[in-house]
Amino acid sequence: MSRGLYVPNLGGARAVIVHRPHPTVAALKRQLGAIGLSVEACWPELPASAVMADYIFFDVDMGHDSQFPWKPGDAPMPMIALIGSEAPGRIEWALSQKAAGKILKPVGDGGVFSALLIARQTFDARNAMAAEIADLRARLSERQTVVQAVMLLARTAGSEERAYDQLRQMAMSWRVTIEQAAARMIAHGAPAAGSRLRQK
Amino acid sequence: MRRQIEIGLLFSRAGSYALIAGSGRAGALQAIDEINADPALDLTFIPVERDPQGNIDLYQPLCAEILSATSARHVIGTTTSWSRKEVIPTLEKAGGTLWYPCPYEGFEASDHVVYTHACPNQHLVPLMEWALPRYGRRAYLVGSNYIWGWESNRVARDLVVAAGGTVLGERYLRLGDTDVSRMIEEVRATRPDFILNSLIGPSSYEFLSALAQLRQQDAALGAVPVLTCNVTECELPAIGAVAEGLVSVGPYFHGATGWPGDGQVFESSMEAAAHVAVRTLAALLAHRPGAEALSLQSLLDRPDDALHGIDPATHHLTLPSLIAEVRDGRFKVVAERAAVHPDPYLSRRIEIRPPDRPSLRVITQ
Repeated sequence: MSRGLYVPNLGGARAVIVHRPHPTVAALKRQLGAIGLSVEACWPELPASAVMADYIFFDVDMGHDSQFPWKPGDAPMPMIALIGSEAPGRIEWALSQKAAGKILKPVGDGGVFSALLIARQTFDARNAMAAEIADLRARLSERQTVVQAVMLLARTAGSEERAYDQLRQMAMSWRVTIEQAAARMIAHGAPAAGSRLRQK
Repeated sequence: MRRQIEIGLLFSRAGSYALIAGSGRAGALQAIDEINADPALDLTFIPVERDPQGNIDLYQPLCAEILSATSARHVIGTTTSWSRKEVIPTLEKAGGTLWYPCPYEGFEASDHVVYTHACPNQHLVPLMEWALPRYGRRAYLVGSNYIWGWESNRVARDLVVAAGGTVLGERYLRLGDTDVSRMIEEVRATRPDFILNSLIGPSSYEFLSALAQLRQQDAALGAVPVLTCNVTECELPAIGAVAEGLVSVGPYFHGATGWPGDGQVFESSMEAAAHVAVRTLAALLAHRPGAEALSLQSLLDRPDDALHGIDPATHHLTLPSLIAEVRDGRFKVVAERAAVHPDPYLSRRIEIRPPDRPSLRVITQ
């Protein structure tokens, strides 16, 4: 009986609709208002305040990259695609914006609440994964440093195995990653046998 | 010359929730009689009735029949959320409007529905805020196996967990199923501080009856309180003496004066909400020739103070929230909030759940 879905607090959240004046906008505004969000519609330019929005609904039929003040796919909030024509080229463009949710036009009586929840979860999961990948990449690129540090330590420790164990203990006592400990150790030079490295 | 306006009534007169539907039907018919006798109005309502007999598959075709075979554009009725959701696509296609007079689980604000009974921030949330500090935080949840039971228990679980409590169990029965033995065994085993009962009709009656037996066999279980958001006076005769102590929540209990007001007395909130639906519709149509053909959107396209209490954003009503306990076979109100603004998506949680609870008034009788 675990709780699967996180329901964000949508009351007072801000949505920006990037779509030309159209009944679609009215239908979206009605649904968003009922849920409790404040809504601003704009076309074709986004107002400066759009970067502070919690959600962006954008027209896939007429939209283009230069409308947005960020690089395609780099929006700082979940983007929800408003799809009319399901032509592959338009879907491709929506995907290039990294749409985290979608609603098919014409927009009728529903669809917005589920789009908000799915987009939020997708966006957060994607960000968490990107952060984890960046962290792993950074650690991967530090492999060379770790090898160097182990070699240095091995001179006094006697074996690579013991050297690695020492490095791990340093990282633990400094409360840093092994990679950071290795970099710090190299910067300070190899410790004399039996001496303790001081934290910088 | 009064305008003759057909309106649809879609209440089941048989099946597992016929008592609730019957109460709503009575309220709607009574309101129609009152409106037709009111010399100040320029309209006469002609009811067009269809009876889905508690069969989920009859709602959509019967609603379509009302909207196609008659001039009615407004339909009062449906009882379960399942049946309401069944007819919404038909209403969308035909430009019709449903007036839905029952409590439901929220997370909906259709452009084709007016909700005249309570949504969770008007029933379940105040009920749990009242119950958790009184009874304790170990909850056992039961419900009928469809969206009302599922979503009510999901929201209840969130509230219990947010209050630092635990949910000891969560069990469902198919609509109409009365095999409650497993639930009762679990109650006996887990000894919750309270039970939230979102069962419908006979399942609920059987559960309450079996629980009363358990209490007799097992005195140590004591009076584990049972809470509900869907039992009203219209079902008390069917439940019988075992209803004693049952705690319910709603915008109205028999004899309450706050809502719908005007000194009118109703059997239950189901009757009151259906009455309000018809009365509000009449107020929106009166002295506006041709308005009976308008979509709900157009009908409500007027200043907020001319909407007769309908929230233009959500099509729900601001309602009182009364908590009542069955004593001597009748609901006695034990706490009340005068006016709770509807928040069907529970998105204004910060407003509705202040850290202290000053807005609840205890009534001593």
